[in-house]
Amino acid sequence: MAPLEDLERDYPIIDSNFRMFCASHGIFTDTDFLLHDLSALEAFARQDYAPDKLEQGIKQMISIIESGQRPWLNGVELLEDSQLNKCTLSTGCEGIDILLQGGLREGHVTELVGPSCSARNSLGKVVYFDTGNSFSPKRVAQFLSLLSDPSATQTNKAVERDMSSIVCHSVFDIFTLLDMLRQLMNNLRSQISFQVRMLIIDSLSSLIAPVLGGGGAHGHALMATAGFLLKEIAHESNLCVVVTNHMVAGEAGMLKPALGESWKSIPHVRLLLSGKYSATGTRITILKHPYLASGKSADFVVL
Amino acid sequence: MTSAFSWIAADETAEQALVRIYKKRPFLIFPPPFHRLPLRAGNVVEIVGPSPSAKTLILIQAAINCILPKEWKGVSYGGLERAVLFIDLDCRFDVSSISRALQRRIIDANGLRRSSLKGNGNEYDKELFVSSMRRFLYTRCYNSFEFLATLKTLHHRIQQEKGGSAVYMLLIDSIGAFYWMDRALPTSSTGNNNNRKSLSLQTVVETVVQEIQRLLVAHPMLVLATKSAAFGDKQSITEVIRKRPDEKMPDPRDAQNKPHRCFMPSVWQSFVSHRMLLRALDGESKHQNRPTFSTEWLLPPLNCSDHFTVNDVWICSVRIASIFFIANLIVSSFAAGLSLDPQMKCRRKCSAVTKR
Repeated sequence: MAPLEDLERDYPIIDSNFRMFCASHGIFTDTDFLLHDLSALEAFARQDYAPDKLEQGIKQMISIIESGQRPWLNGVELLEDSQLNKCTLSTGCEGIDILLQGGLREGHVTELVGPSCSARNSLGKVVYFDTGNSFSPKRVAQFLSLLSDPSATQTNKAVERDMSSIVCHSVFDIFTLLDMLRQLMNNLRSQISFQVRMLIIDSLSSLIAPVLGGGGAHGHALMATAGFLLKEIAHESNLCVVVTNHMVAGEAGMLKPALGESWKSIPHVRLLLSGKYSATGTRITILKHPYLASGKSADFVVL
Repeated sequence: MTSAFSWIAADETAEQALVRIYKKRPFLIFPPPFHRLPLRAGNVVEIVGPSPSAKTLILIQAAINCILPKEWKGVSYGGLERAVLFIDLDCRFDVSSISRALQRRIIDANGLRRSSLKGNGNEYDKELFVSSMRRFLYTRCYNSFEFLATLKTLHHRIQQEKGGSAVYMLLIDSIGAFYWMDRALPTSSTGNNNNRKSLSLQTVVETVVQEIQRLLVAHPMLVLATKSAAFGDKQSITEVIRKRPDEKMPDPRDAQNKPHRCFMPSVWQSFVSHRMLLRALDGESKHQNRPTFSTEWLLPPLNCSDHFTVNDVWICSVRIASIFFIANLIVSSFAAGLSLDPQMKCRRKCSAVTKR
């Protein structure tokens, strides 16, 4: 939301004359410009005493808007981008990989829903936003040692290298989360930090649930903002974003995912984990996926 | 606006005019179970449903019908060979869904059974695939202002596409995507001086509707928008008492007792010319263990609902309502088509301009 004065530096046609004309129609910033009827504005400009300069100013504003936009891509370009940049990351568990046709995709926001004590916390690596102090390095090291080759000399070094590629942050409220996400987005855009492949937010619901509810729209607005920010990070920087959610009691005593109806349309992929965290296996079901039918499920065992 | 003026040819008979209209702005009929109403340029269709209910899939099927050619190398695909614009406001679109669906459609139309192709992999006409995918134009917006900016510059973008007559559909995924963020927009507390438009959901939606209307006058297109609906959330607690586990699935007409809450401002609701409602059906009607959905036209109201199920990227219709309601269909579609004729609108506007 930039005021028009700031644009004068780069575009001298947006001079004080033009700004006064805009102010007479209630346009002070570029967002006001977007809300206004442009052809009516042009008609008023033509009746003014200096029509050419004003029309040029309006055209300049339109081209500024155009240049700030994302370009339109056609289907072929989308496919190329998808094949080049968006690979699938294996979850480390064969059953889940087969179900998801490869694993977790970069560019997707994946939500894992399940009652507590299911296998939610056992999948994943790299940037980890921990909201409940549940991140345990020992457990992760255990997993890594199981996944890597069982050769005694190299195991420790490999585990150390893998552990150092995991960055863990503690986040306890939604505003800190939004702040850190924006910072992460800026870092990724300017490529300051290392190559991040995956972002995990453990228990996004514990950050959002306290602000949701109540009469105001602010809780929902914060949730929607966080959701769109995650999607933007996932798509623009080719990350795989994984968020977890818990379950609450719903109709007729059945459990349903928390965060309500408006959250349902935010993640790309929603996976439901059911069954106790036991040796007999946990079932993972697809609730929503862009190109796989919902209802498919697979069983897996957490060691 | 030269293309709008050139549309009105001065000397021609009604027959010539009709032939020209049906060729340049043809009807589009979706595959079943959405085939009940023919749609054409100037219609604004809203597809309402909870999440997930295959809304984006319907958009993709419509897009495929539009981008495929009518005939290619002797095989008839029945498409319109026109470009579609897809504005992704939900930002959840994955190109794999449309590419797989398009591949499957090409393979099916060629009459080759998929089971017999397991040896070859997926053998299909790549040239056709690429030329069709080129007609699918996509952009995404992460907030309302990006959406408004896209709409304002869309006219120029369409002109680049073969002089503007090639684009026939505008698909908007989830028109209500920014609803919560717009509701929480800071309203200016300095009062309404300088006749400055206050930033709010109402003004944003008004501007969106205005821009789309302006776009439709210059480039008549079919507009399809999805919207996710909340079904009587607050009333669901009382509904639980009525439903017992041994009761059969309630009559589909009973489902109308739970009307969907339309949360978009009335300026959008009155802009919409057709509305289709999707619902998820309950557990007992699972077809082959996949969730089933029902579809029903709310505007114009047709008293029949069809059921369908989703199989990866394909929609299979399960039950189509009986032929008894076809009379209703004919009358309603005729009435809808007459009242929303874009040619009449265009002529009225042009005559107003020339009078000045």
